[in-house]
Amino acid sequence: MLLVLPVMAVLAIVAVYPIVHSFYTSLYDIVLTRPHRAPFVGLANYIAVFDDARFWVAVRRTTVYTIVSVVGTAGLALVFALLLNEVFPGRRLLSIILLIPWATPSIVNGLMWKWIYDPSYGSLNGLLDRLGLIDRYQLWLADPDMTLLLVAQAAIWKQMPLAAILLLVTMKAIPDDLYRAAKVDGATVLQRFLHVTIPGLRSGFLLVFVYETMISIRHFDLFAIMTQGGPGDATFTVSWMIYTETFNSLRFGTGSAIAFILSMATFALSYALIRLLGKDR
Amino acid sequence: MPAAGRLIRAAVIATTALLLLGYVLGPIYWVFSSSVTAESALVSKPIRFVPDAPSLRNFRAIFLYAEEKVTYDTRRQSDPSAGEFVPSAAQNLMPAMMNSLYVGVWVAALNVIFSLTAAYAIARIRFRARNAALFAILTTRVIPDIALAVPLFLVMRNLGLIDTREALIVTYLAVTLPFTVFILINYFESIPSDLDRAARIDGCTHLQVLWHVFLPLGMPAIVASLLFAFLSSWNEFVLALMTTKTMAAQTLPIVISGFVFDFTTSFSFINAAGVVAIVPPVVLAIAFERYIVGGLSAGAVKG
Amino acid sequence: MENIRKSGVSRREFMAGTASLGAIGAAGMSWSPSAQAQAAAVNLMTWSAAVDQVKSHISAFEAQSGLKVGYENAPGAQFRQTLVTKFVGNAPMDVMWVSDAWLPEFAEAQWLAPIDGYSQLTKYNSDIEQYCVDSMVYKGKQYGNVYYTDFMAFLYNEEMLKRAGIAAPPTTWDEVVAQSLILKERNICEHPMLLSLQSDVTWYIEFMSALAFSFGGNFTDNSGRAVMNDPSGGVARSLEWVRDAVHKHKIVSPAATNTNEIAGLKAFGAGQHAFGIIPRYRLRPLNSPAESQVAGNVRMAMMPKGGPNGTNATCGWVRFYGMSAATQRNAARAANAVKLIEWFGGKAMDSYTFQKMIILDLGLPYCTKPLDNDADIIAFYDKFAGGNDVIRRQAAQTRKKDVVTTWFGEWNDVNIQATQKAILNQVTVTAALNESAQAWERLRTGK
Repeated sequence: MLLVLPVMAVLAIVAVYPIVHSFYTSLYDIVLTRPHRAPFVGLANYIAVFDDARFWVAVRRTTVYTIVSVVGTAGLALVFALLLNEVFPGRRLLSIILLIPWATPSIVNGLMWKWIYDPSYGSLNGLLDRLGLIDRYQLWLADPDMTLLLVAQAAIWKQMPLAAILLLVTMKAIPDDLYRAAKVDGATVLQRFLHVTIPGLRSGFLLVFVYETMISIRHFDLFAIMTQGGPGDATFTVSWMIYTETFNSLRFGTGSAIAFILSMATFALSYALIRLLGKDR
Repeated sequence: MPAAGRLIRAAVIATTALLLLGYVLGPIYWVFSSSVTAESALVSKPIRFVPDAPSLRNFRAIFLYAEEKVTYDTRRQSDPSAGEFVPSAAQNLMPAMMNSLYVGVWVAALNVIFSLTAAYAIARIRFRARNAALFAILTTRVIPDIALAVPLFLVMRNLGLIDTREALIVTYLAVTLPFTVFILINYFESIPSDLDRAARIDGCTHLQVLWHVFLPLGMPAIVASLLFAFLSSWNEFVLALMTTKTMAAQTLPIVISGFVFDFTTSFSFINAAGVVAIVPPVVLAIAFERYIVGGLSAGAVKG
Repeated sequence: MENIRKSGVSRREFMAGTASLGAIGAAGMSWSPSAQAQAAAVNLMTWSAAVDQVKSHISAFEAQSGLKVGYENAPGAQFRQTLVTKFVGNAPMDVMWVSDAWLPEFAEAQWLAPIDGYSQLTKYNSDIEQYCVDSMVYKGKQYGNVYYTDFMAFLYNEEMLKRAGIAAPPTTWDEVVAQSLILKERNICEHPMLLSLQSDVTWYIEFMSALAFSFGGNFTDNSGRAVMNDPSGGVARSLEWVRDAVHKHKIVSPAATNTNEIAGLKAFGAGQHAFGIIPRYRLRPLNSPAESQVAGNVRMAMMPKGGPNGTNATCGWVRFYGMSAATQRNAARAANAVKLIEWFGGKAMDSYTFQKMIILDLGLPYCTKPLDNDADIIAFYDKFAGGNDVIRRQAAQTRKKDVVTTWFGEWNDVNIQATQKAILNQVTVTAALNESAQAWERLRTGK
């Protein structure tokens, strides 16, 4: 028992206290530009947030971003894992190179893609133009219909390696007997993939989905560096709203309320995913 | 397998491998090549993928920055907004890197010390709160960083720790601990319990068992944890943005984001700053590659 | 021991790995954070502009006063947040640059100290333009001395107009459209008009106000009520003009809402645009051969008039040196801070050294009337602006922002988002301005 105490103590100070504190703050009408007045308002901040149309825009943006980046990450990771599960020359080199995006700091990831997407000087336009795939330079991040997807793409680039490793490790644990048995039964490559590999990857996918959902739903860095919530409200996510509410508007009360809502939503979603994907085990 | 089948297999593998390789390395290459290209070439069309006359100008500015006293006579007399401008904040990159290293190493070290004991206890010692403890540790990980930022900022302010590297160490410790404990528990549980039971019967204390049995056996997971903790701190942005304000504590991501938001920095310099921040973690990750996979395997398989 | 080997790493290998990490850590430790901030007699915080000029002027200050100055700067786009976190965190900060837009908020939060009590600072008021003083006053108290003042200017590329056979720059926004269409048709540029309308907490309101004022519009009336949503008002007409310029006439790039001030400047300097709304001080880099490909061709015209109530008015601003309230409570630090503010915002050794240096070096304009007759400055305007006749006339038609209130920051976020959506053609101009006006009224009435 004594051995767990240090961990518990650290967590209490820096994880439990902040969440309790943010709930406490969210019950007061704290606006820094009105220092002499911070009345207790109960759940009024929450009601104000739920009444704010911008909050629901933020929820929609966050939902789309989370779905796209989680599905994209898992899909690409599966391709990578399947490839690395094969034996071919250069396999080890490829698996080492795969670690580069994972080790790249997200701020650098953001500035890298922002630069690639640059409508005037970016390499994406340069490449597509040279390949003859576009006849004029595209706007990329400046096109509100594409911005969110392009940010998600940058996230996928960085998240995919870890997901691929998790899937690969699970894949290696699938007993060879299962494949052999399926082969004896005359199953094709596709059938073996659908009926042996995919079910065998359940625990790996569970981990990937839970982990990536938690990462994506609260993601902040890429929005800060690439879009600042714009253009318009195209990338106005919940975590970006917490930031502007707190540090532009100086409304710590509502900022904390949104933060608390996001925490609870993340918790509920992770729990639901674990129940959903983790059943019949 | 018939020859045709083998050929198709090889072709599929080669194509997929090349596509993925391009996807992973292409963006990185663009950052590197932009960092050594002249600004005027970067902003001219058509876009060139191989720099004409590569120059290490930006890197010289970062690594060989000499603090000079600027006087009326030595000042640069023009708007630095255009052209090959190296911002004066270039001098902050090396100190920021030192801050990042300092924080990262401390977080990694403390992280392993704290989580080893906790993971050992949870994995081996039967006590009533075992499940509750594991659950509590994991639950704390669902709090979004941005939600932690404001309360933590206020806590650090009250403790007088705003703008210190110590505040970052404590914060990152909390953020990384749950994941490390999780990895270690899974790994320890895969270690046969006969070993430590034998040691206990021989009269070893828990700490002795931990030192003589679990430490050597759990090495892959421990090395993986060290790396995870280090890279997480190296990477972290939001919390450092809130709790640091000067070069006394600012880490690389903060200084680099400053260049991006600045209205005077050249594109090629921003890319050079990015290169500086990518190289150390990538070298570490590649050097310790086998432990990352090894350390994760137990956790993933057990799920 | 066999198990150890099987596990893949020996303890020795592990130790070697840890030692290498430890060595890096030690290297980190040997670099100790500068104690400068604590030791300095006075700390100055600015955004990252005029860095060399500030440093050189600090060197002279240190030599003359014997006081050590701790100087730091942060990126302009993050500067407001940096100040806020510093104020809330009680970080040591004595003197800082402040935008006139933030004054009511920062004064109400009791972060800034009034400087009325220091005659060394207020004595310069008689030398500067009245609107500059007014911009630093909140509830009857003055909060600083001027760093610089400027306005949004209508700049054009003379050479491009000549090539298109256009004799004179446009005088109305309709003419801007007509001339732009000619420039497009002749393939001189794809998007002749430059607008930099990224969601930037400092610049956005100044760009939008300049446009609105030239259409005779107001965001608020004399009693502070929101009138921006008047469908026939100048704000609505200016926003409609921008939307049509992007989507109907295609003379403004659809990337405008993703273009910040510096990116716009670089594009104008690269010869991609013929017209632009650009802060006046950028005339200097735009007409410097080392920094611009269109040097010598950039001229300023009066702000075009828009709609039936159009004027030549534009939006101006003042940035100033403020003192933190915490510093004022410490008499010794306050005395040093006052000296530094006077050195920068007033006279240094009996002359307006800094004001003169930043206009000649960077083009940053002053409020200081006595400098108008300075021979160097007259020569400067001849060289970089082709004389300052238009500049003087435009300066006389410059208006302050009419949205500077204690709720500016809160409203600004809503307004940027709503009006950008109108420019992107996602909502109507009426809907966007109604949203903006409602937010304003909710904040104003405190409901």
